[in-house]
Order: sequence, then structure tokens, then C-alpha cells
Amino acid sequence: MNLLLFLSVLLIASCGLIYELVAGTLASYLLGDSVFQFSTIIGSYLFAMGIGSFLSRFLNRGLIARFIEIELMVGLVGGFSSSILFLAFAYTQDFRIALYLVVVLVGVLVGLEIPLLMRILEDRLKFRELVAHVLTFDYLGALAASIAFPLVLVPHLGMVRSAILFGMINAAVALWSTWLFRHELESAMRLRIVSVLVLAALTGGMVRADLIAAAADNNLYADRVIFSKDTRYQHIVLTRFKEDVRLFLSSHLQFSSRDEYRYHEALVHPGLSAVPGARHVLVLGGGDGLAVREILKYPAVESITLVDLDPEMTHLFSTNPMLTQLNEKSLLSPKLHVINADAFVWLDQHPDMFDFAVVDFPDPTNFSLGKLFTTAFYRLLAKHISAHGLMVVQSTSPLFARQSYWCIAETLKQAGLRVYPYHVYVPSFGEWGYMIAGTEPYQQPTTLPTGLRFLTLQVLPDMFKFPADMQPVAAEANRLNDQVLVRYYERDWNEISR
Amino acid sequence: MRSAAKPITGIFVNDDFARAHQLRDRARFASPKRQEKVPVVIVGGGVSGLCAGWRLQKRGMKDFVLLEMEARAGGNSRSGQNEVSAFPWGAHYVPVPSRKNTLVREIFEDFGLVRDGVWDERNLCFSPQERLFVNGRWQEEIEPAYDPDQFQRFGARMKELRATGEFTIPVAETAHTKTVGMDGMSMAEWMQREKFTSPYLNWYIDYACRDDYGSLARDTSAWAGAHYFCSRDPEEKGPLTWPEGNGWLVKQLLARVPVRTGEMVHRIVREGKRWKVASADVEYVTDAVIFAAPTFLAPYVIDPAPPILHREYSPWLTANLTMDRLPKEDDSELAWDNVIYDSPALGYVVANHQTLATHIERSVWTFYWSLAEMQPKTARQLLLDKDWTFWKEAILNDLSKAHPDIRDCVSRIDIMRFGHAMARPVPGFLTTRQPSTEGLYFANSDQSGYSIFEEAQYRGVRAADDSLLHLHGRVSR
Repeated sequence: MNLLLFLSVLLIASCGLIYELVAGTLASYLLGDSVFQFSTIIGSYLFAMGIGSFLSRFLNRGLIARFIEIELMVGLVGGFSSSILFLAFAYTQDFRIALYLVVVLVGVLVGLEIPLLMRILEDRLKFRELVAHVLTFDYLGALAASIAFPLVLVPHLGMVRSAILFGMINAAVALWSTWLFRHELESAMRLRIVSVLVLAALTGGMVRADLIAAAADNNLYADRVIFSKDTRYQHIVLTRFKEDVRLFLSSHLQFSSRDEYRYHEALVHPGLSAVPGARHVLVLGGGDGLAVREILKYPAVESITLVDLDPEMTHLFSTNPMLTQLNEKSLLSPKLHVINADAFVWLDQHPDMFDFAVVDFPDPTNFSLGKLFTTAFYRLLAKHISAHGLMVVQSTSPLFARQSYWCIAETLKQAGLRVYPYHVYVPSFGEWGYMIAGTEPYQQPTTLPTGLRFLTLQVLPDMFKFPADMQPVAAEANRLNDQVLVRYYERDWNEISR
Repeated sequence: MRSAAKPITGIFVNDDFARAHQLRDRARFASPKRQEKVPVVIVGGGVSGLCAGWRLQKRGMKDFVLLEMEARAGGNSRSGQNEVSAFPWGAHYVPVPSRKNTLVREIFEDFGLVRDGVWDERNLCFSPQERLFVNGRWQEEIEPAYDPDQFQRFGARMKELRATGEFTIPVAETAHTKTVGMDGMSMAEWMQREKFTSPYLNWYIDYACRDDYGSLARDTSAWAGAHYFCSRDPEEKGPLTWPEGNGWLVKQLLARVPVRTGEMVHRIVREGKRWKVASADVEYVTDAVIFAAPTFLAPYVIDPAPPILHREYSPWLTANLTMDRLPKEDDSELAWDNVIYDSPALGYVVANHQTLATHIERSVWTFYWSLAEMQPKTARQLLLDKDWTFWKEAILNDLSKAHPDIRDCVSRIDIMRFGHAMARPVPGFLTTRQPSTEGLYFANSDQSGYSIFEEAQYRGVRAADDSLLHLHGRVSR
């Protein structure tokens, strides 16, 4: 009997620690600054446990029933703690309120557990042994939980299910206690029924945990989500941490406001500055208006045509004050024509000619997007470029997706173009690559627009040099009927992603 | 939990059983009012008839008429069009021809599909080409990724057979001395004899036979079964395909070859050295008849009935499903050809797969079903007896194995029934020959024993050449 009770101590102790770890980890995920999050969460949790211990003195009658009730409450609140926190993060204004509320509530309940249990056991053991045994099992449970959490639970079950699993353990301890203390309980049946209900609720949560994770945008975003919208075409998410605004399209990072100038200056100027007198510029993709902002630095440019599939993107980046500050209201420029269309189809159906084209599509993560990186696409685009014009193509990372990068080079070559690959370091992306392509030889520019923050004529030649680990590798061209790029890309990223 | 689904509408399309059955039942037709003299009459506006016309023109012969019973030419390569996409009703692709197949290359060059030896990417099937739903998930190829040893051994056997050089397209252009023995047994027997026991491999072979010939492996000549795997030697990843399937090729042919549609030939009579070909309004007096309609119709039309090559014909059903949205996909992308393992049907082809757009919301799926499991006669009766709702339900139930939400996606299902869709290469098909009749040239692909574009073209071209030979005593170049 006593051993079984000590086993309960071990289990509830591990549950208590798991909830603490869940709250700390989630807060670090969602708010960043893990040292601060863990310190304050552990502090508040321990403090709340102290409150619970203090409150235990006010519980006098029916201690066993109270203990079982508390177990059930811990099971429910603790078990659903990560679900509640994910949903609060997605749907409430201040996540911190929910966070500390959950931490304190669970802490208070967990704080009540051990004192109550010790009082239940006080008549059965000597005080010396009682303290020694209860605390031994308490710390043992904590050790087991702290090892299982990072090694087994988070990688295999995830945050939502881990918490629910331990909620079920709490509820199971409650159910078991109704049997263990069946002779001392007056209302064993009622507690048994409630225990079963709680267990059922948690089991339901376990089964549908994927819905909670999806509804709460999962744990994809390290920073606070300030905008989230499902459009017809994609899932647009904006996050913010301090002054850093990030755009994610269907959970792929598109830019970070801290370093996007590096990306966009490198995207536009090496090519456009090399086409003196360029008057008509085409931008494919790039509905954020950041490439357009760079193009507007050329007074000679008379018209810019922006073709982006998603009207919600161009609308968002034309109207939101924070975003129009970032793109300097480029999307409101009178020189700009915004066309919301599928780029390949639009090029196929319109005769317009351009002196320069910026091709800034999302990475080829699937066969649909992969079409925009094919010989057929580049051949068609080349027909829209004037005799001395150029195009520049966002070409993934020559470091992380090396074969994909050189596959795009090969594809442009087989489309009959001269190709000039270059790369730049963008902290939020890592090493990133582009290619300038055209029918005429490319000459590096001798002047650049004023007011650039990153690009200078001195660093430009180095961008076209590739260190040993980014040197060309063999790759086939990507064709509509044989999209090797999508397979290369998947393989490249699988090698480095966790 | 299901929401009340909106009703799915649709009809049986293009049912001309009645007209064809008039011929079968030897109905009486009124005599035509006027007479027209023309050196060559082509009966039937399917691919073989159209290619006969194409060949005559290329040989400088413009003096012919092509008569088609239906309102639209195309035969098994007919196609349709709705507000979402063009779509096929039958044949929907042609593999990229090998360098040796000069005839197919010639017509494809005429159509601008290949320039300076380079195939235009836009007419080649886009990635991803195919996938198979097997054991609860989609895999990339139709060949099941199970029992790889047997698949490898099978591949090696096919390679050996290919090396004989006897499995060619067109099939009649080579001798089959080394391999003709395979024509004496069914593909199922051959598989057993070669100890290919894997259920996945046997499903795959059965699927291939149903797909190309409309018959099960046990009803297909082993020679034909192997031909499916040994006859192709593409230089480029294909196949060639278009939203309307081979209807695209028909459109190219119709732009070159004039066709008289709605002219059902009900009687062809020999008179001395000439033929009289009667449709409702006109009696054509001609020197040569190219009979490109299915050969089995000849005895019902031609007087005196000529000896014909008897074939068995597979009944088929095709359906075009208008999709208002696409079913949810977990971890797979919609391919061009989507097949469900262990389904009695052949899966579906996405008509607007060949779009340049990165994003499609609506689609048309062409569902193929060769009713191979029953005797052809029983299956034909079933096609006639069962109503549209029966087939609609059968199709949706089949697709729901892979797409549980299919009923919420489909708004319309139009169904076309084919009593005699294609000739079946049953054991022995290879050695049977069409007896010749002076001035009458059979051109339907059933002459080859199986129905593919290349054979239809070859038969049309040969009949055209034979007609010219008959007219001029030589083939002019």
C-alpha cells in the first residue's frame, strides 16, 4: 500500500515538472529570449507552488477526496496547458497573460499535492520516514521527467501531446486512488465517474491534437505573429520581434526587415545597373514591393510591371503602414502597374517587352512552383526581354541547396542564355544565390544608385566568386516534363533540416 | 459529420447506339437523291480515316471524300470542352516516338511538335506524370514499390525480348519468328510459366493489359502483353499529351483534311470495277473505298459481304468529372495519371494538368474504365441496362478510396459508353490476316489487333497507299 502511494508521488512529481517544462519551452518558442522565459516561468511556478502549499493548511476535511479532486484539476489544466497556450497565442492580444495565468494555476494545484499527500500518509509512517520517502520519490519523479522531456517527449509526441499524456497520468492517479482508498472514501463512485470523464476528455485531446496545433499555427514561428491570413493561394504570416518584421508565405521565410536590404539590393542592382537606360522593368513575384523600392532608385525607369499571383499580398503591402514604411510606398508609385496573375500564363498571353526582369519566386518546393524554374519558362521570359536587356533570378542557396542552385544555372543555359551566378550573405537566410542571365554578355556595372546600404562597387566583383563549398556541381536542367529541380531541392534541404 | 452534398448532375453523352444498331439490324434506308463521282471514298473519320486523308494529300491527291457518321469526327480520339477545360473522351496521349518510327515523326513534324529534332516541352506531359494509391497512400510511380526482386527480373526479361527487335510499332512491319510462340498463350499463363508470383507485379501487368487493350492478362495474348513493355524506345521523357488528349491531334488533322460529318454510310455495293457508297443524300461512285470504320461493321454495310478479320472488341466507359474544387491532399501532389491499386477501373487523368499556371482551383478529371472482368457481351448489356446514377455511384465509390471527400468536390459527371471501344489482342491475334479485296482497303486500327494512335495512322497510310496503287498502278512520290 505504502509503496503504491510512493509511486503516486513519483508520478505526480514528474507531471508537475513536465507542465513547468512545457510552459518554459513554449514561452521560449513563442516569445524568444529563452533565458528570460525559463527564469520567470520557473520562478512563478515555484512561487505558485508555495502558494499552494500555504493554502493546503485550509483544507481540513475529506483530505483524500480533495487530493483526488486536485489531481483531476491538475490533469485537466496541466494536460491542456500547451493547447491553451498555443490557442491563446494565435487568438488573443496578449499571450503573456494566458501564460502566467496557466503557470500560476498549475503551480498552485501542484503545490497542494505533496502537502496533502503527506498529511494523508502521516498516520501510517513516522515523520522521519515520511519526509524522507516522499521527498525521495518526488525528486526521482522530477529526474525522470527532466530526462524524458527533451529526449523522448518533445521529439516524438510534440508539446501538445506531451502535456496531454501527463494530464492523463494525473487523471489515472486520481482514478487509481479511488480504488486505493476505497474504504476511506464516502463518494468513491462519484469521483470515479469524474475521473473517467476527465480521462476521456484528455484522450479526445490526444486524438485531435493535430487540429489544435494547426489552429494555433503550430510552433513554426519563433516570433510573435502580428498578421495571419489564409488567402486563395497561400498562408500569409507576419511576425515581429522588437524591430524585426518577418514575412512567411506558407511557412517559408520571405524576408526579415533587419536584413532584407541586403537581399533586395543584391537582387536588383548588379543586373539593373548593368542595363543603362533601362526604361521598362518587369518584376515577377515580389508582391512585397521591396524589389520595386530598389528599382524606383533609377530615374530612367519609366514603368514597372509587377506580376504577383496574390492580390491580398499586394493589397497588404500597399496599405499596412508598417509595411509601406518598409517598402517606402513603392506599390503606390505611379510608375507601377500591378497585375495579379499567374506569371507563366501572363507571359504566355501578353506581348509586352522589358529591358530588365526580376524573377523573385518562392523556392521550388513543389511541382507547381517548379514550373517557374524550367527551360520552357526561361525561354518564354527571354522573348519578353529586349536585345540588350537582362533578367535576374532568385536561385535558392548555393550553400544549403547547392545542386538546386546549379540546376537553375544549367536550366538557364539550356534555355539558350548566358548565365552569371552570384551570391550574397543575408543573415536571416544564410548564403543566398542569384543569377543574371541574358542573350548578350554581362558586364559588371561601373556606377550604382546612391543611397544603398549594402552594395558597393568594391564588393560587387567578389559576389561573383564562389568559395570551394559553393562551387558548381553536376546537375541536369529542369524541364516541364522532367522536374529534377524539385527532387534536388527536397534532397538538399532534407540533408540539413532537422 | 458529412455536410449535405450538393447534387451531382450529368448525362450519358453522345449515345449513338441507335444509329449504329440500325446498321446491325439491317434497317431499310431511303435511296440517295444524287450521285457524285470521286476517285476515293474514306468511310469513317477516326484517326485512321483522317490519316488516310492526310496521306492522300501528302501524295498530291486531293480528290477524295471522307464520310463520318457522327456530327463530329475523331472516333476514339474525340474530345469535349467545358468552362473549366478541354478534355478527352478516349485516347489521351501518344508516347514520344522512337527515331525509327518515321511515319509518326513525320506527322508530328507537320504539327510542329518537334523542331530540329527537339520536342516542344509544352506538349510533353508535365511533372509529376503519374502516381499510384496503394496501401493507404500515394506513391510516385504506377509500378508498385513492392517485391522489387520480381519487378527487376520482369524488367530484365522484357529487355531480352526487346533485344529480339520483333516488338515494333507498327506491329506489322517486322517478322515475329522468334517470339510468335508467345502469341499462343495468354499473358497470365506466361507470367505463371515464368514464375512471376508477386501479387503486385501481377496487378501491374493486369493493369497494363486493361489500360492498353481493355482486357485482363488472362484474355490477352502474351505477345501483346510484352509488346506494351518492349515496343517503346523514347528519346525524350513523355508522353505527348494535351488537355483534350488526342483530340488535339484530331483538330490538327481536321485543319488539313476536309470531312463530311453527319453522313452515315449505310450501303457499299460493288459494281464491276467500281463501288457505290450510299449515305442518306448522296451516292458516291468511286474506284477505291478506304474502310476506316471498325472492321466488324463491314458485313452489315458492304454488299457482297467481304471476308473480314474477326476481332473481339472491348467495351469501355469514360467519364468526365467536373471538379469545383480539388480533393484535399495530405502529402502528395496531383499527377497527370492517377491510378488506384486494386480498383476495377483505370484511374483518372487530370485534363488541365498541362497548364502553365501554378495554381488551379477547378479541374476536369477523365475517368477510364475498361469493363474487362466480364465477358464483352455481358459488359455491353450492362452498359445498356444500367442508368446514369448506377455508373455515377460506381465511379464515386471507386474514387473515394483515395479521395474520401470526392463527393464534395464534383459538380458534374458526364459519361460516354463504348460498346466496341477497341480490338482486343487475344492469343492468336498476331497471325490472323485480313483477306484482300480489290479496291476495298481496311484501315481501322483493329486490323493491327490493338488500338493506338500509331497503328491507326499506319493503317490509314497503308490503305491510302494501296488506293493510290490501285488507281495509278503505282505509288507516286
